[in-house]
Amino acid sequence: MDMGVGIDVGSTTTKGVLLDSTGNVVAKSLMLTGASAVQAVEKTVHNISSSARIDLNGVPMISTGYGRARVELAEKSVTEITCHSVGVHHINPDIRLLIDVGGQDSKVIRIGPSGRPEDFELNDKCSAGTGRFLEVMARVLEVSIDDLGPLALQSKNPSSISSTCTVFAESEVIGHIGAGESAADIAAGVHVSMVSKISALSKRVGVKEPVCVTGGVALNPAFRHHLSNQLGVELWVPEEPQLTGALGAAVLALERNVGGK
Amino acid sequence: MTQERASEEKPYRRLETQSLLQQIAFRSGLEAMEASENGNLAWVTSGFPVEIPIAMDMGVVYPEQAGAIIGAQKIGPEVCGFAEDLGYSQDLCSYARSSIGSTEKPDEVPMGSLPTPQLLLACNNICGTVLRWYDAISEMTGAPVFLLDTPPLEKVQLPHHKEYVRAGVQRLIDFIIEKFDRKLEDGRVQEVAELSSKAIDLWGKSLEACKNRPSPLNCADRFLTMAPVVSSRGTEHCAEFYETLYEEVEGRVEEGIGAVRDEKIRLLWDNIPPWHTLKFFNILASRGVSFPADTYTHAWSGSISGVDTDSLIDGVVDIYSNVYLNKDLDAKVDKMCQLIKDYDLDGFVMFSVRSCKRYSLGQLVSKELVTERTGVPGVVIEGDMVDSRVYNAAQIETRVDALLEMLM
Repeated sequence: MDMGVGIDVGSTTTKGVLLDSTGNVVAKSLMLTGASAVQAVEKTVHNISSSARIDLNGVPMISTGYGRARVELAEKSVTEITCHSVGVHHINPDIRLLIDVGGQDSKVIRIGPSGRPEDFELNDKCSAGTGRFLEVMARVLEVSIDDLGPLALQSKNPSSISSTCTVFAESEVIGHIGAGESAADIAAGVHVSMVSKISALSKRVGVKEPVCVTGGVALNPAFRHHLSNQLGVELWVPEEPQLTGALGAAVLALERNVGGK
Repeated sequence: MTQERASEEKPYRRLETQSLLQQIAFRSGLEAMEASENGNLAWVTSGFPVEIPIAMDMGVVYPEQAGAIIGAQKIGPEVCGFAEDLGYSQDLCSYARSSIGSTEKPDEVPMGSLPTPQLLLACNNICGTVLRWYDAISEMTGAPVFLLDTPPLEKVQLPHHKEYVRAGVQRLIDFIIEKFDRKLEDGRVQEVAELSSKAIDLWGKSLEACKNRPSPLNCADRFLTMAPVVSSRGTEHCAEFYETLYEEVEGRVEEGIGAVRDEKIRLLWDNIPPWHTLKFFNILASRGVSFPADTYTHAWSGSISGVDTDSLIDGVVDIYSNVYLNKDLDAKVDKMCQLIKDYDLDGFVMFSVRSCKRYSLGQLVSKELVTERTGVPGVVIEGDMVDSRVYNAAQIETRVDALLEMLM
C-alpha cells in the first residue's frame, strides 16, 4: 500500500506523521529535539513505526524543519514554509494566510489556491516573536508554559511591556513584579507585546482570510485571543497545530513528484 | 554543500579572464605604493569621479575594495573588531570598520593596510557614512578630506542641482591643483574619458550579454570582474581587461555556454554580495540557479563623453549624480523591474545588508512593489558584506529554498 512519512525537525520539538494512501493519519509522534537531532529523528521514526506496526523501509519520506538535512532516511528535504502550507491545505483548503509560531521562529505564509506558498516572511535573528519569548517570561513569572496563557486571560488591565526584545523585556517584567503588579496583568502584557511582533509580520505579507495559526504557540489561548484582536480577524486552529509541518512533508512524500531539493 | 570537484564536473564554469585580476590587483598595489611614496596617493570612494584625479596623475586606491578583500579572506569580524575596540559601533558600515580597523592595526591584517594616503576623496552619492569614515581616517593619517557633495536626486536632476555639483567638481580640480601642484590638460582629460568610456562600454556589453539563455556570467563572476571598472576606469590596462572579458563572454554566448552548467532558474540579486560567502552562488549553481543580473554591478555603467574639459565635466556631473544609490526608491524599483523584464528573470533575492543602510533601506517595500509590478516572487535575506558574524547560513538557506520551491 502507498504511504508517506513526514519528519519535521524543529528547533524545540521533532514531529513525525505517517499517512496512508487516502491521506489519513495512521501514526504520529511529537517529542523534544534535545541536543541531538539525529537521535530525535531515530526515535521519531521508531515511534511511528511501532505505533503503526509497520516497517518504514521503502516508505517514501520527506524531511523538513531546521534539522531537515539531519534526516538520512529522507529522500529529500523541503522547507517548512512549503510543508506548512501543504499540511494546512490538506486539512483546510480554504485557508489563505498561515501564521506559524514555533519555539524559535515565527513565519507568516500566504497560501495560494493550490496549497503552495505565494509569499512569506520569517522573523530574523530575534526571538521576540517566538515561543522562546513566552518560555523566558513564564520562567520569570514562575508559572509553567502551559499555565501562562490561561493566567494572562484573567487580566483586565495588561501591564505595558514596551520592549520587544526578549532580554530587555525580561528585566522590564522583573521591574513590574517589583512594582507589585499582578502576575496575570504582567502575563497579559507579555502576550500583547509578543503578538505585536507577529501581527506586524502578518501585515507585511497581507492579512487575507481565512487565517490559520499553527505551531506550539497556537495552543496558547491568550496568544490566540490577542492575535485575533490585533489583526481583527477570527483565527482557525487545527486540532494538532504542532503537526502541520510534518503532515505537509508526509503529503509531499505521498505525492512524491513535487518540487524541492 | 558542494564538494570540491574537477572543474569539468563543477556545476559552474570558471572564467579564464579571472586569472588576469590578480595581475591587475598586483599592479594597482604597486602603483599605489609608489604614489604614496611620491606623496600623491588618494583614497577614493567607489562612487567618486575618479577620472579627474587620474587625469591629474594622482594615484588612487579604494578602501571599499580592500574591505571586500578582507571579507573574502574571512577576517572581517577580526578586522572590524579592531575598529570596535576603538569604540565604533557594530552597526557602522563594515567597509568603514574594516578600513579603520586595518589602519589602526596594519600589522595584524594579512595584507596590511592600504598605503598611506595624502588625500581622501569622498563622494556621498553612495552614502553619507563615507564622510565620517574618511574624517576618521584623516585623523589617523593626517591626509585632508575632500567631499564632493551630490544631494540625493528625486526623479530628474534640476538645473540648480547640476550647477551645485558642477561647482563641487570645479572646486575639486582647484583643490588638487593647489595642494599637489598639478594641471588639468584638455588632451589628458579627453584621453582618460575615452579610456573610461571604453572600459564602461565593454563592461556594459558584458552585462547585457547575460540576457542570453544560458547567461554567460553568474553573480560571483560579475562581482569579481567589476573590480577594475570600479578602481581603474580611465586607465589603459582597465580597458584591456574588459576587452579580454568581453571576448570570453561573447565566445560563451556564441557557443551557447552558460556560467551555470545547467541553468534552470534565473534570479535577480539586489545589493552588495556577502564577500565572505561567495560560495552561496556556487551552491545554488549546483541546483541550476543562475543570477544573470544584479543591481550592484549595473551601478557602474554610465559612460562619460565630451569634446573638451568643460563638456566632460558636464558628463561627470550627470553620471555621478545619477548613480543608483543616489536616487529615490521609485527609481530603484523601476530599475529592478526593468532588469527582471530585460533579463527574463523568474524571481529575485534581496540581500538586506545589516551595515549598509543606504542600500538596504526600503527593501521590504520595494520587494512588495517589484512583485506587484512584475508578478515574480522575491525573498529578503539578512546578513552583511564583510562582517560574517551577522550572516546566518541556515536562516538564509530556508528562505532561498522556499523561494525556489515556489518556482520549481
